[in-house]
Amino acid sequence: MTRPTPKDIRAVAEAGGVAVEAEVATRIANSIGPAFEGFEPVSGTLPFDLEPASFLLVQVAKVSS
Amino acid sequence: MSTEPALMPLTAVAKAIAAKQVSSRELVQSCLDRIAQWQPRLNAFMSIEKEAALRAAGEADAELARGKSRGPLHGVPLAHKDMYYDAGHVVTCGSLIRRDFVATTTSTALQRLKDAGSIRLGSLQMAEFAYGPTGHNFHHGAVHNPWVFGHITGGSSSGSGSAVAACLTFAALGSDTGGSIRMPAHFCGVTGLKVTWGRVSRTGAMPLSQSLDTVGPLARTAADCALLLGLMAGPDPEDPTASTAPVGDYMAATAASIKGLKIGVPTSFYVDDLDADVAKILDEAIAVLKREGADVVKVELPDQRQLTSACQLVLAVEAAAFHKRWLIERPQDYGPQVLMRLQNGLAIPGVLYLETMRWRGPALAAHIAATSGVDAVLAPVAPVAAPTIAESDVGNAPNAEAVIQRLTRFTRPINYLGLPSLSIPSGFTPKGLPVGMQLIGRSFDEATLLTIGAAFQRATDFHEKVPKLP
Repeated sequence: MTRPTPKDIRAVAEAGGVAVEAEVATRIANSIGPAFEGFEPVSGTLPFDLEPASFLLVQVAKVSS
Repeated sequence: MSTEPALMPLTAVAKAIAAKQVSSRELVQSCLDRIAQWQPRLNAFMSIEKEAALRAAGEADAELARGKSRGPLHGVPLAHKDMYYDAGHVVTCGSLIRRDFVATTTSTALQRLKDAGSIRLGSLQMAEFAYGPTGHNFHHGAVHNPWVFGHITGGSSSGSGSAVAACLTFAALGSDTGGSIRMPAHFCGVTGLKVTWGRVSRTGAMPLSQSLDTVGPLARTAADCALLLGLMAGPDPEDPTASTAPVGDYMAATAASIKGLKIGVPTSFYVDDLDADVAKILDEAIAVLKREGADVVKVELPDQRQLTSACQLVLAVEAAAFHKRWLIERPQDYGPQVLMRLQNGLAIPGVLYLETMRWRGPALAAHIAATSGVDAVLAPVAPVAAPTIAESDVGNAPNAEAVIQRLTRFTRPINYLGLPSLSIPSGFTPKGLPVGMQLIGRSFDEATLLTIGAAFQRATDFHEKVPKLP
């Protein structure tokens, strides 16, 4: 997923119930944008049947090995 | 024994009080004397509860005289980060919003330390809502580094790092969501243990990010951390995320040898852009571990930048969700930087958040595969020693997040993977600022980290140094 624009951010924030001003949206885009870019190689590549709780299984599997 | 009881490490003081070599009242008074000297310079305490602590110490001494001991911490005074609920006490969470919040319950971790006999000395400063890595606090002021005034302590457990380093408390609870125990430990020259996610109950600890939050100690030695972890670890009916994985004998682990243990040193990311003083100290620490019998090898880790980014996205969303009501009703009551960072979470779509959560399992599996040949990984905690308060006081400036990311880039991947990590004092820069290293372990294998940390501390004396008032 590519880095969001200030316009995207205003729309997402407003839909989430916490509207932000244009200046704040620009600041958020600059702050969080690099994290979007950093995660981009992973985003959209995960297998269909992978669920978040798999993390707990991996944790415990390591304990018993 | 030192002539100043407050200078003793926790494990020694616990034994001394049990053997009636020192009284609880003497310990409390010694801590209070140092607090009176240092607090005006450090701003490490949020509250100092002198009369109540002395009263509790008197009761502990009377109990011991009658032959009754409450446990391994009987009569030992402790102060903790001001985010652990303690029934009947104000718990500010370093904020204006919770300035008058009186807890009606006591956190499980804190209760277990109380059940072991510890005494409440007061509460310690912290970053507002634990959301800041430097030690700045818009409402309550910056906490100072006791080694060189005017330098940061690191955060968010800023008061914990500062107070333990200055020997104002024998140990302190901190919390680590993105590095908030390890960074104060690194910057202040104390030992800090970030536990495996799920190792210690989070019930009654202020939440920041439920998928990343961990409760752990800062203390002077690895053995001190081992003692506290052994008392706190284990399942909790009130916290379904507190693991039932077996609790190790952590104190026994600190006596074990590191001969034959394999320690991996990453070939990239953690060695990039290190300050020269930090790099030199890490090289010297590696040499010490080799001399003590460890086998130090290179290890190639998966892309850590992706882990850092995933951690940042998870933290931003979960923090914003916890704070949403106050973001709507009381945005003016946040400090500018904390408000800015909470607002970051509003920008992240639900699908992206869930992708970061779904990737955690495969990411941890990849890390386990990459480190299967080693018992622990050694890395820097931060690329620099403590910067000055002035140069890191970026508020909500456009470069604020970049400054924060530079400080936390070596700690966040570990939070995302939920792994344990022990920060150990490893040296001092020519300016006299402490530098630590982190030992990163396998899930629920804090014992191996404590073994390595204790062996390192038997071979060095960085953890025994005490800052002096000018």
